[in-house]
Amino acid sequence: MNGAQVGFFILAGLLIVSSLWVVFQRNVVHSAMALVAALFLVAILFLTLNAPMVGVLQILVYAGAIMVLFLFVIMFLNPIGLEQRRRLWWGFGALAGLLLAGALVPVLTNGDAPRDPVVATELFGGPEELARSLFTDFVLPFEIASILLLVAIVGAVVLAKREP
Amino acid sequence: MVASTSTVATLELLRWIPLIPLCACAINIFFGRALGHRTAGVLASAAVGVSLALALYVFWLLPATGIFHDLLYTWIESGSFRVNLSFQVDALTAIMLLVVTGIGFLIHIYSLGYMAHDDGKVRFFIYLNLFIFFMLLLVMGDNLLLLFVGWEGVGLCSYLLVGFWYHDAKNTIAGNKAFIVNRIGDLGFILGIFLLVTELGRQGIWTLDFAELPKHVSLLTPATITLITLLLFVGAVGKSAQIPLFVWLPDAMAGPTPVSALIHAATMVTAGVYMTARLHFLFAPAPYTLSIIAIIGAATAFFAATVAIAQNDIKKVLAYSTVSQLGYMFLAVGIGAFSAAIFHLFTHAFFKACLFLGSGSVIHALDGEQDMRKMGGLRSYLPKTYWTYVIATLAIAGVPLTAGFFSKDLILWQAFSHGSYALWLVGVVTAGLTAFYMFRQLFMVFHGSSRVEDHVKPHIHESPAVMTVPLIVLAIGSIFTGWLGAPEYLWGSLWDRWVQPVFGGAHGAEHGPVTTEILVTLVTVAIVAIGIYLAYARYARTGTRVVPAEAAAGLYRVLLNSYWIDEFYDRIAVRPFTRVSQWLAQIFDPLVIDGLVNGVAKVARGFSLIWREAQTGNVQHYLIGFLAATLALLIYYLRQL
Amino acid sequence: MDASLIPLLPGAQVLLTALVVMLLDLFIDEHERGLLAWISLLGLALCGAEAILLWGSSEGTFGDTLLLDNFALFFTQIFIAVAALTVLSSMRYVRETGIHEGEFYSLILFATTGMIVMAAANDLMVFFLGLETMSVAVYVLTGMWRSSARSSEAAMKYFLMGAFATGFLLYGIALIYGATGSTNLNQISAYLLEPQGQWPPYLFVGGLLLLVGFGFKVGAVPFHFWIPDVYEGAPTPVTGFMAVAVKAAAFAAWARILMHELSPLDSDWALPLRVLAIATMTIGNLLAISQPSVKRMLAYSSIAHAGYLLIGIVAGEEWGSTSLLFYLATYAPATFGAFAVITLLTEQDKPKEDYGHFAGLGFKRPFVAMAMSLFMLSLAGFPPLAGFTGKFHIFRSAIIAGHTDLAIIGVLNSLLSVIYYLRVIVMMYMNEGGVKGKSFIESPYLYTAVGLAAAATIYLGVLPMRTLEWSRSAFSSLF
Repeated sequence: MNGAQVGFFILAGLLIVSSLWVVFQRNVVHSAMALVAALFLVAILFLTLNAPMVGVLQILVYAGAIMVLFLFVIMFLNPIGLEQRRRLWWGFGALAGLLLAGALVPVLTNGDAPRDPVVATELFGGPEELARSLFTDFVLPFEIASILLLVAIVGAVVLAKREP
Repeated sequence: MVASTSTVATLELLRWIPLIPLCACAINIFFGRALGHRTAGVLASAAVGVSLALALYVFWLLPATGIFHDLLYTWIESGSFRVNLSFQVDALTAIMLLVVTGIGFLIHIYSLGYMAHDDGKVRFFIYLNLFIFFMLLLVMGDNLLLLFVGWEGVGLCSYLLVGFWYHDAKNTIAGNKAFIVNRIGDLGFILGIFLLVTELGRQGIWTLDFAELPKHVSLLTPATITLITLLLFVGAVGKSAQIPLFVWLPDAMAGPTPVSALIHAATMVTAGVYMTARLHFLFAPAPYTLSIIAIIGAATAFFAATVAIAQNDIKKVLAYSTVSQLGYMFLAVGIGAFSAAIFHLFTHAFFKACLFLGSGSVIHALDGEQDMRKMGGLRSYLPKTYWTYVIATLAIAGVPLTAGFFSKDLILWQAFSHGSYALWLVGVVTAGLTAFYMFRQLFMVFHGSSRVEDHVKPHIHESPAVMTVPLIVLAIGSIFTGWLGAPEYLWGSLWDRWVQPVFGGAHGAEHGPVTTEILVTLVTVAIVAIGIYLAYARYARTGTRVVPAEAAAGLYRVLLNSYWIDEFYDRIAVRPFTRVSQWLAQIFDPLVIDGLVNGVAKVARGFSLIWREAQTGNVQHYLIGFLAATLALLIYYLRQL
Repeated sequence: MDASLIPLLPGAQVLLTALVVMLLDLFIDEHERGLLAWISLLGLALCGAEAILLWGSSEGTFGDTLLLDNFALFFTQIFIAVAALTVLSSMRYVRETGIHEGEFYSLILFATTGMIVMAAANDLMVFFLGLETMSVAVYVLTGMWRSSARSSEAAMKYFLMGAFATGFLLYGIALIYGATGSTNLNQISAYLLEPQGQWPPYLFVGGLLLLVGFGFKVGAVPFHFWIPDVYEGAPTPVTGFMAVAVKAAAFAAWARILMHELSPLDSDWALPLRVLAIATMTIGNLLAISQPSVKRMLAYSSIAHAGYLLIGIVAGEEWGSTSLLFYLATYAPATFGAFAVITLLTEQDKPKEDYGHFAGLGFKRPFVAMAMSLFMLSLAGFPPLAGFTGKFHIFRSAIIAGHTDLAIIGVLNSLLSVIYYLRVIVMMYMNEGGVKGKSFIESPYLYTAVGLAAAATIYLGVLPMRTLEWSRSAFSSLF
């Protein structure tokens, strides 16, 4: 096990813990803060994978903008009454999670490497490389994504605006 | 065997025979109300009249072993499999054409009078024309799939017409019952078609054409043919009301009487017989199926005749009698005497239509009264109806020289000469029962002292000419149609020479020693005479005792309630099915999800809780189901690896 | 890289119309908003004309991420036909229910754009974005009837469950990308066809997760739970749109991606697919029987029909796919028409969708009732209507592919379905009462939509050959 792998496992462990924290924490604000932590950790994972651009965007967009909105909404609505925790739900959730993990871990770890692995070079996730593929190979998905966002905005306005 | 000897000619006229009633139907749908009740009815009748004229013309053109064919277009084609929308007329179809358009025309005319005062007259004629169209499709289609289209179509029209007077919930239920019981039969029919397609397809033959199929029957193993024919026969059992699926026909009498005459006596219910005759090349090499058909036919004939004895509703008697006569036809099919079966179908169409229309005339005269215990002595009030009724009753009872005599005698003689003495005996006894219950009806309705309720009495009137003329025509047919198929010892059978080529290698009329044949006939006639005498002695003079169902005892009660078959089906089939469906909707679906969620322990906390929880449509419950299924799939995969 | 813009034309046409409708909405008066519907119809008609002119072309663009072939065009025609019918049948309805017209029509068009992209996508990313565009638009459409709590609830549920399913789908795409190194279907299928030792196991898991995602979108049991609630809650024209167009789009992508391009994996999901098909047909039909509401019954019926369509998927290439395409074409008019008739019964923004509300419709609105009877009979597979020819081909393809048992179960199921379809006809013709004649939505456009659907139902039953020919050539264009 080399240094990079040790780093990965530490990050991954922290990520799992903070994600669980999001789910188990009863206080919504705490929960949101744990989510911020998780998103940060994901961003760091991206950085270690030679994808600085995605990592930075992850921090800016998710940990930054979206989480601020989350917190804003939480404070705005100030939810007090929490639903009673139900053990069987938890039991089932845990069971399903374990089964899923049990099923996926051997599959994902046991596999042969893909024959045409995408080479994660130094520049692989840099802004230049990302921009190049975004505006050449993936220009069509990029444009369609803009339609998707437009639809989402229209939808949000339609559903949220005050009825006359 | 058929195609090799017959000449096929194209005749584009054929398409108009079914299309004209369809056009009239369409016109009435869109403009019926604008045209007014009378015009719509006349239009509908005229359309069938034109079809009849065309059918007669085609009949006249048709050479003895010829086939007319008319291709409209290819309906379905995929690969080498092709189903055309095309019509064909051979001798068998020509006869069916005449029955459908001829009797159909008379009944349309009759309906002009019978339905004159009904608000839904336009609707009635729309359904009636649609029925004629589908029935013609059924008999004229040149392939099994087209026959099936007609088969389903007539079922639908029958359902609409049985429930025609929807104001009475009873009628709606009867319509539903007819439809659903028929669908059970159809299931067998469809599976039979599927099996036929699959088995032939396996040999590389993709066809459902009647002209093509006989060439390839030899490719099928005997076991397969038996299975296919049995499944097809299940369809016939449903449509032609044989044991055990006959229950819908008596209830179907809830429809207007012309409908009973047209659909439930003369045409649709005989579709099963027609289908077996059309596919004789499949049925003939399936001896096991044939013997089952013969047994079911004979059992139905006898069973329905016994039930008919105890009925007091004028139309119910006729309904059970129809079931019984259809049994005769299947008995004939079962011994391979397809020609005799179709002959009985032909004569039966006339006298049974005449009886139904006659009963309609009686009901019409008595303001809708159908109970024979409240009739009697109507002879003098309704002379024309009476005399036509007498003739038709003589015919169905099998009195010598009437149509029913010749056709029934032919079947019985075929059974006898075929060596099936048990079937013959059942047939003969049934003939006696038939004579008894038909004359019982005749005497109860027209003879004896009048038991008509007082407030109805002053209004009794003979029906108008528009109703009596069809009766007279049918009564004439009830005698003379039989003369076409007289036995050899009289003047010989025109019928056999006409129809026999269609059935090629299948059994023809077998002619044993003439003395035996005459002797066998005499036995039948004697038994019929006894039946008539008993009915006369019991019902003609004094009128009958009025026996309410509850008070009646023993055998009589069993018969009156037709052996409680309906109740039996309700218990063993209808109710459990309903319950399973409800159970699935109310308990099972929520329970599978919630059961997983709440665990077995919580199930005890009562269904109501679960029920309510599922009613909220909780997304988490749904997601759990989703997740569980995904996990199951995943685990299935991992086992594969 | 080649970047011919022609393959984008149909989608771009609809998108442009959507933008025009959305922007124009800002500048016109309340009472002139009817104009927007006509603009939408015009745009859809233009798109239809383009699709007809382009029929037979076979062209990829942007590195073959989007293909313009007969397959895409066949589905494009279905989508725009349904979208146009939806617009026609909503013209009065949106006013009655207080739904904002501009957004409503533009969202219908946006969703249609997404569907067109889905059917033409030859790249998992493009497909996914098309799917999301469609889904987001439909989530919003579901909740657009703001004054109805049921509508909002349905939108919320649909959104939550849709997001859940999207997660599965996206994870599946990621795994497939990981295994094959590409999201382009050409390259993926080239990878799968290479003679080689073993595929990494997570490729199968990726395929499986795609299957789950598709299963959700088409409403296969046990991923069907959302359908009754969402279909019942959504504004009725939207329900018709969902039941036909959304389902068709999901099946289009399923046919292109799973059935065709990933077909080397077929042997691995044969059994699960069979189980899905049987469960979907049977549960859909059994539960439809005991529904008191016609709208909910139709929701379950659409589940059952997804089951019949799955038979086509199981039957596989050639006949299976051809009959799948053809079945979708025959299923579309009857289902949409039935929902359009329910739309008609809406009275002053109060839905009237129980069986009882259909009582006596046969006398109050004879033509509508007759059309409804046609739809019900067609859905039940009654000859000679569209549903019969569709079912005939589906079951026959199953028999040819050696799945006779599936065909028999399908036949049994379609017999079972008669019970609840017939009940509607019984109510209309053999009962009285129900909704008062005055309170129907009397819109000539709605009647036109019903009439067109009825005509299509008869046409596809009596003269199916041309459409069948189209389905076949659409299918063969995949090769």
